[in-house]
Amino acid sequence: MIASIKENDELQMNAYCDGELDPPSAIEFERRLADDESLKARYNRLLSLRRAVRSLPQYELPPGLQARIQSALNADGPGQTNLPGPVVRLGQAGRPRQRSWSFQALAAAAVFGAVISSSVMLTIERYNLHEDVAREVVAGHIRSLLAPQPFDIASSDRHTVKPWFTSRLPESPQVPDLAAQGFVLVGGRVDVVGHDPVATIVYKHAKHTVSLTTLPPGQSVSDQAIAGYNVRSWSDAEFTYIAVSDLPSADLASFERAFSAGSPAPETK
Amino acid sequence: MLGKRPEGSDRLSGQQQASVPIVQNKDERAVFDEVFLPHMAEAYRLAQWLTGNAYDAEDVVQDAALRAFRGIKSFGAVNARAWSLTIVRNTAYSWLVKNRPKAVVFTDDLSAAEQQELEHEGPHGTRIETPEEIALFKADAEDVERALAKLPAQFREVIVLREINQLNYRDIAEITNVPIGTVMSRLSRGRQLLVALLGDRE
Repeated sequence: MIASIKENDELQMNAYCDGELDPPSAIEFERRLADDESLKARYNRLLSLRRAVRSLPQYELPPGLQARIQSALNADGPGQTNLPGPVVRLGQAGRPRQRSWSFQALAAAAVFGAVISSSVMLTIERYNLHEDVAREVVAGHIRSLLAPQPFDIASSDRHTVKPWFTSRLPESPQVPDLAAQGFVLVGGRVDVVGHDPVATIVYKHAKHTVSLTTLPPGQSVSDQAIAGYNVRSWSDAEFTYIAVSDLPSADLASFERAFSAGSPAPETK
Repeated sequence: MLGKRPEGSDRLSGQQQASVPIVQNKDERAVFDEVFLPHMAEAYRLAQWLTGNAYDAEDVVQDAALRAFRGIKSFGAVNARAWSLTIVRNTAYSWLVKNRPKAVVFTDDLSAAEQQELEHEGPHGTRIETPEEIALFKADAEDVERALAKLPAQFREVIVLREINQLNYRDIAEITNVPIGTVMSRLSRGRQLLVALLGDRE
């Protein structure tokens, strides 16, 4: 019995350290941590172990590997299913640590920087405005996660969600069901951005909530992370979309693709 | 031209990446480029930790890239990173089983001694460590690396995925194909084992 309590402690401590405890349990654990010297000592040891592992030198991708893979793929035509022969190896042992691309990356970044810097000063004001928009949208997402449910109307039926928006808002977006792509429609809510009510469609992906807020078109909000949430934005003729989630940004990119592909063509009126 | 890579010349060919024309499967190739390529560096890192050396890691990543390309249709437009790393992880293990069967130590059953060690919080047996002693745990990089390499595969992989690749539990569960609860207990036990191994070196 004592062993299992101890085991549970260990699991909780690890989950806390990994940021995987739900907020109430995390708060409770922090309370215990403050009171329990031995728990605190074990937690500190866990932290120093983590530091030690994370500060291990990172293995760098060997230069040339990507090119070899590219050419192996080019050779891998349809019907050819044989695996490639042994990889041609670098003539050096140990860890190749050259960063052959960092120069290219640097050069690309420099060019990119030069191109955008001229317009930066002009747009910086508008940019700030848009970052406020992003922050408000993220705040809406966070608020929704704190509520008992992240939506005002719960439905996985787009024919329910869409009319619900239509009856409340001057402009309502298409509400595609993306369950086949892994994003299950769970409902919709009205967020207020600036002083305007806007439609937010809510999807679930595994345990993660994705809020898709729809704004009047023509706004550019940069993809970014705010308060630990990834923000991804794109536009079409009718709306500027802002997707917010704790999913990795690559998943949000998939979401954008799925949504853009899944949005039925705008109805002509 | 393709596939013609004389020994020793690959250092040079590495510099002209992207100059190879894409001749076929353009769409699948584009998806592959978008899905798998961004995670190559991570893939390599994971492969190196799983196989234990740079040469094998290269083989594994190249093999995994081919598998990913051939299976790109099965990519469900969900989590490109987890999908890619899953393939790398599985490729690494099949590669190990084939090429160095002895290197794959997969067991949830630790030896009695290890079990004992774990349950008594390290090799110091019943000695009670003071909080200061525990907190002052430190080790240099080589020790940590050696200890990590010594861990049984299922503990090593979760620690690498968590600390090196910095994935969350959900993704680790997906990649290693076990429930989240198992990820949690393996992480916890793996870390305890590491601490025990590092404590052992004196």
